[in-house]
Amino acid sequence: MMEGEAPYDRERFLDAEREMSKLVAESMEKYGAKPNVLFAKLSEATKAISKGMVDWARIRSLWPLQFGLSCCAMEMMNFGSARIDAERRGYLFFRGTPRQADVMIVAGWVTKSMAPEIKRLYEQMMEPRYVVAFGECATSGGPWWESYNIIQGIDQVLPVDVYAVGCPPKPENLYAAFMKLQDRIGGRIED
Amino acid sequence: MSTRINIGPVHPSTHGVLRLVADIEGDTVLRVEPHIGFLHRGVEKLVENRMYMQSPAYMEKLDYAAPMSYDELYVAVVEKAMGVEVKERAQWVRVVLLELQRIASHLLWLGTAANDLGQFFTLFMWCMKDRDMILRLLESASGARMFYVNMRMGGLVQDLPPGFGGGARDVLDYLERRVKKYEAYLEKNPVFMERTKGVGVLGKEDAINLGVTGPVLRASGVGYDTRKDNAYYVYGKLSFRPQTRSEGDVFARYRVRMMEIAESIRLVRDALDRMPDGDAIGMPVRLITTGAKNREASASRETPRGEGIMYMVADPQRPYRLAIRSPTFVNLAALTHIAKDCRLADVFAILGSLDIVMGDADK
Repeated sequence: MMEGEAPYDRERFLDAEREMSKLVAESMEKYGAKPNVLFAKLSEATKAISKGMVDWARIRSLWPLQFGLSCCAMEMMNFGSARIDAERRGYLFFRGTPRQADVMIVAGWVTKSMAPEIKRLYEQMMEPRYVVAFGECATSGGPWWESYNIIQGIDQVLPVDVYAVGCPPKPENLYAAFMKLQDRIGGRIED
Repeated sequence: MSTRINIGPVHPSTHGVLRLVADIEGDTVLRVEPHIGFLHRGVEKLVENRMYMQSPAYMEKLDYAAPMSYDELYVAVVEKAMGVEVKERAQWVRVVLLELQRIASHLLWLGTAANDLGQFFTLFMWCMKDRDMILRLLESASGARMFYVNMRMGGLVQDLPPGFGGGARDVLDYLERRVKKYEAYLEKNPVFMERTKGVGVLGKEDAINLGVTGPVLRASGVGYDTRKDNAYYVYGKLSFRPQTRSEGDVFARYRVRMMEIAESIRLVRDALDRMPDGDAIGMPVRLITTGAKNREASASRETPRGEGIMYMVADPQRPYRLAIRSPTFVNLAALTHIAKDCRLADVFAILGSLDIVMGDADK
């Protein structure tokens, strides 16, 4: 604390705040407005606008993590390639590092040796982060559900947002899963 | 002083979940060691509890880049155990489907491996588009895009649909042009040539001693092809020769695969022309459940990745024990030998050229 400066007086500042609100209330009364209505409306509007902006940006740039486990990764590659062309809705591009990705597509069966690695990748992703369980194996263990080395679905390890079911699901199915994910985040892009 | 670095198990260039531990000095690799097992799910054990007609669906998931070849390999083992002959037309149809699957697998390899070599993402897009045309053909023949389960003991689940031959010929004509375009695109590219020529050389003797098979072996100058040397189905009647190169480097493996695509296109055309009419439907399911005659059976097939062998000790209704020799597992083991004293960046060129599918190696 510098020499000569008055010590922090909490009561004094409380008084000042009370004084300010009193002044505002008086001036509102003078101009015929009810107290606090204007400010409340303003802050609501800004919140709504900023949330809308963020959601608008978020659903248009869902970048998946380039992370193929097994068979379903083939269809995931098809999803990103010429015929489906998911990029037109902003579902690409596939990022090589979890720190730049928003969505993790778990495409394949989850073994006991792979589960900790997947959890670690998920924790390295920035929030908000989403998980799509792609295919039977990631949903429930699929045909391997009784194997000694398989975890029956990625939802035992991570919170899953959307499931895409099939063995393997068609690329169109992953596209539909991403549209569902957009609904969850807030609003779908209409064509 | 050497440094030990870890690559994977999640890495954009490892084609699945493979972990590599590399000892490097500067940029030179002293030793690189693959650690596998991240996809192990015990498929050999699981099929011991499945009836014979239930298991092809499990086998297809071994090599998911070429599911049809493993589907057929398992069915072939069961046929040997049961002592069943494959119907004449079914043999021709199987050859057509297997060769189409080989083209699709090699196209997938070309796209992904070239992508590792320096962001040839255009080529990846082209390859996936062309592969999709073959997948549509196979979908019309079996009803599924990826896991067909189209083979049944003694024949097929369903015969080829009407109009398949015409559609296939159109696709093959188109592919023939496209493959020439890919070759021109890549071989005129100095980056691609620089990164493949003379990189990752595997000599003839070493290739034989390491036990590698398939295009990796043929690129080292050994003309061994199970389709020719241990001919099954109608491969003996069709004229083709194993495609070989003598250099044994990454470029040779690329060339062998491109020549195999051309050879497969010829094979499919030939087989479509000479295919006889008749019945191709396999045994009814109730006959499959009644049992295997022989106690032991084995079959070997040329899958797109190399020679796959299955050995089965048969119980009447399900395998007592099934052993799989997966080509990827053996080819991947050669990585330590090939990638010795190369540059770190070239490890991925070599790994890509081996055409690994981790589901196949981990079983």
